[in-house]
Parts: sequence; C-alpha cells; structure tokens
Amino acid sequence: MEEIIRYVGTNYPTIFKLTIEHLYLVSISVGVAILTGVPIGVLITKDKKLADAILYIASVIITIPSVAMFGLMIPLLSMVNRGIGFWPAAIAIFLYSQLPIIRNTYTAINNIDPALREAAKGMGMSDWQRLAKVEIPLAVPVIMAGVRMAVVMNIAVATIAVYIGAGGLGTIINEGITGTNSTKLIVGAVAVSLLAIIADYLFLFIQKMLTPKGLSGEMS
Amino acid sequence: MIRLENLTKHFEMPGKEPVIAANNVSMEVGKGEICIFLGPSGCGKTTALKMINKLIPKTSGKIYIDNKDTDNIDPIALRREIGYVIQQIGLFPNLTIEANICVVPDLLKMDKQQSRKKARELMEMVNLDPNIFLKRYPRELSGGQQQRIGVIRALAADPPVMLMDEPFGAIDPINREVIQDEFLKMNAELGKTVLFVSHDIDEAVKMGDQIAIFREGILEQCDTPDEILANPANNFVKEFVGSDRALKRLKLIPVSEAILPFRMAVNPDDPLGKVADKMRSREAHIAVMVGPRGRARGYITKEEINSDQSGVVSDYSDPLPGTIHENDNLHDAVSQMYSHATDWMPVVDDDGAYKGYITQHIIASLLGEAPRKRGDRIT
Repeated sequence: MEEIIRYVGTNYPTIFKLTIEHLYLVSISVGVAILTGVPIGVLITKDKKLADAILYIASVIITIPSVAMFGLMIPLLSMVNRGIGFWPAAIAIFLYSQLPIIRNTYTAINNIDPALREAAKGMGMSDWQRLAKVEIPLAVPVIMAGVRMAVVMNIAVATIAVYIGAGGLGTIINEGITGTNSTKLIVGAVAVSLLAIIADYLFLFIQKMLTPKGLSGEMS
Repeated sequence: MIRLENLTKHFEMPGKEPVIAANNVSMEVGKGEICIFLGPSGCGKTTALKMINKLIPKTSGKIYIDNKDTDNIDPIALRREIGYVIQQIGLFPNLTIEANICVVPDLLKMDKQQSRKKARELMEMVNLDPNIFLKRYPRELSGGQQQRIGVIRALAADPPVMLMDEPFGAIDPINREVIQDEFLKMNAELGKTVLFVSHDIDEAVKMGDQIAIFREGILEQCDTPDEILANPANNFVKEFVGSDRALKRLKLIPVSEAILPFRMAVNPDDPLGKVADKMRSREAHIAVMVGPRGRARGYITKEEINSDQSGVVSDYSDPLPGTIHENDNLHDAVSQMYSHATDWMPVVDDDGAYKGYITQHIIASLLGEAPRKRGDRIT
C-alpha cells in the first residue's frame, strides 16, 4: 500500500499525462462516432431492410475481439503509413462505438408514438422540422444512453491499444506486466476503472440534463 | 367552401384485388358548417378525411377548398392552413402547453407575442386557466384537458378549415358531452368549416349541420341530421341510424319550438267562470297559474271547473309536474314527462319566467311533419 502511494506521489505527472492521452483517444473517436452514428440511426428508420443490414454489420464488428481488431488495422493502415499509434486505435474505437449509438438512435426514433408523427405531419411540419422539433428531442435520452455505453466500453478497449503504440493508461499496466511490478499493475488498473466509473456518472448527468423537461420526473 | 368531386382511393394490395376506400365521393360543405363523416369502421370515412390534407394521396378526383384546386397547393403549405385534430391527441411531450398551441403559428413565422396572446384567449374559451396551464407539460394534464388543448392547437393559426378525426372518441362519456358543447359554442363564434369523423350516431346528430354516411367507400347519404333520421336513403342508413331514429330526432328540436301558441296564463285571483270560458274558447285543457313576477305556480285542468262555478283559480290549482327550460331539447322534455308521469309540462326561461307549455300531443304531431332544416321555426 505504501509503495502504491509512493509510486503515485512520484509519478503523478506521468499518470496525468497518460490519462489525458487515454481520454483524448476515446473522446475523439466516440465524438466522431456520434456524428456518424446518429444520422445513420435516423436514416435507417426509413427502411427496415437497410436497418437490419446496418445493425447486423455493426453487431458483427462489435464481436471482433479488440486485439484481433488492432491486428487487422495494422496491415490496412500500413498502406498509408499509419500502421501503429493513434490512428488504428482511434478507428477501432470509432467502429466499436457504432453499434450502441446507431442501435439506440434507431430504436428511440422508431419507438416514438406514431400519433406524434401524424400530428406533426398533419400540422404541416416538414421531415426536417419534425426531426428537429419532435423526434430528436424525444430520442435524446436513449441516444445518450448509447453514447454512455460506448464511452465506458471503449475506455477499457483503449487500454489494450497500448500494444499498438497508442499510449494511454495501458502503458502503466503493460509495464507492470512485463516487469512483474504489481504496484504499477494495480495503479494502472485502478486508474482505468476509476476513469470508467467517473465517465459513466458524468454521462448519466449529461443524459439527464439533455432530457426534455416534459419527459423527466421533476416538473414545476 | 369544401367540395369533393369523384374522390377515389384504391389501396393496392400485392397479389390481391385493390381495396377501394373511397369510390367516386362527391359532396360539398358550406362555409361555417360542421359536416360529420359517419359510418362503421373500415367504411372509408377517415381515408376521405385524410385525403383532404394529403396525408393519404388520392387515386383520382378533385378536392376544392374555397374554389381552389388543392392539387396546385404544396402539401406542407396546405396542412398549415387546415386545423388537424386526432383521436390520440398527439401533443408533443417535450413542449409546454404554450409551445404546443403555438406550433403552427411558429411554423408560419407569425408574430410571437400575438400568437402567445391568442393562445391565452383560446385557453379561456375552453375553460382552462392560462396562468395555471400554459407553462405545464402535456403529461401533467388529464385526457380531457389534453384534448381541449389538441382542439385549440388546431385553431391557433386561425385556419378556415378544421379536420377532426374522432376527436372525442377516447374521452369518457361525461367529459365528452362537456367538450362537445364547448366546441359547438366555440364554433358558433369562430365559424370554421369543420369535417369531423365519427362512428357515433348520437354525436353526429348533436354536432352536425350535415351528416355524410359512408359504407365501403361509397357515400350512401349526405344530408341534414333531421333529413337522415326522417328519410334514410336506404336500408343501410336506416339500420345504421337505429330503430329509435324518431326519438333521436327529438334531440334536434328545442323545447321553444314546440310551445303551444297560447300561453293560457291566469292569475291566482281570476274568477273560475271567466277562466273556464277562456279555456273553452281556445280548446285548451290546461291553464297555468302565474304569480306576480311571472313564475308558474300551479295549474288547473278543464275537467276541474265549469262556467258557472264560483271561486278563484288559487282555490283549485294543483302543484306543477315540474318545469322545462326553453333551450332544452324535446328529448329531455319527453324524458322528464315520462319520469313525472305527465303528458304536459310548463316551459320557463333563464329567469324562471313562464313562457307557455308543451304537450306530448304537439310533440307527436311535430315528428309527423316533414323534416325541417335546423333552425327553421314552426309557424
């Protein structure tokens, strides 16, 4: 225990730097995944067959073990000289994030009461207006739940990205394993776990903030 | 105002004969009139309604609103000029009541202050306090309150035409009566042309200036409620309106139209002999004793008195069998007569002043007359 405290005390700038690296990797990748996943999720509500196909592909992607995924990334990205480091890790996390975001967006939009859609249409809203004023605001809580799931899951995935040179908190764990240094191993593991728990609560908070007042429990 | 010409809709069914939901429907609804589309489920009434605001594309035929062919109007622009109310209400749960009411005015980029003021006025028309409800969210309101908002939301941009798809179908019977009355009162003021889908003949008789009865896509009869009840065009209409259609007609006639032409009001201190002579000359069976402030106090019948009897009216008067308001309908009047086991009833106005009386005999003879348009007076 003393050793752990001493290690953290002397190495906190490194731990901090690695945490930032870790968060940077996850937030950029999931951020881009939101920008693609939400529109795709909305789009596939128009066509059941397309929706089935897209959701199937996304489900297949998410079942690929992360080590295998990085293994696939390396030869592919080597063609553009980005075989190791940030890029393969970012792309893998981006791909893993698609399923929870697309699926939650699709489900949320699909489950909106058809009466609301009919009322919106019958009152003269265009498809865009209906989406912006009614469907997206009502779907936001469920979409955010998908984002939250993607973030938490990928904080774990990003740890493994150390093996393809993407840095992050996996670095400490890797050093712990290779040097049979249990202190480093514990510090790294606890740091990743804490990060995941904090991110989970943070996104839960954001999800509540973005939920329209008329849907949430607390009302004036 | 609204004219349908040979409106037809075929729903293509893969591998089967197409379903004909509207078959050459032609009809016209005048400005400010309420027309009820009535029929059993699957008769095409809702399809006919939704073709008007292009929620369902028509197969062929023409729809004119204010003599303008709606084929030449963009669907979105058209819908913003037509109020639309549905049975499931469809208030947007993420918006406040105020924002819900102002959806169409905001889409049309109308002045915000103006539309918010209008929202308050409309809320007062349906007896909801704007100070309490405007900032609330739909789920904080009861079903009846929500549908009132649904109706005024459709009125917010002041469209000349309203389409209502079974608007009060999901509301409990007591609230439904109230909200129907409110709507009739409101529309008497606003004068919108309303097309209203219903499957309830009683609602149709109550709400409609015109009733259009559909069966399997065919418009079977389109006429005033009284004409439809008195002269159903065919057996289908006859069965649909029910075997008690004569009784339903009673709801269309206000008590004031059945009052006998002579009031036969007598004072408590009138001598009996004079009253007897008066009754004989008018062939009246009943005279009503009226107090100094014009209220009915009692009555005497022809059998009780004769010309050479001495005494005054108050000595012989019997207590009244109840009274009925002049604005009630004959259905209520007959119901009261039966419950009081009487064949006549005095009629009073808002102040309780005696206006004359009605008898079962005159009601029976009114129903035997040729059907009348709503509002025609008996002369």
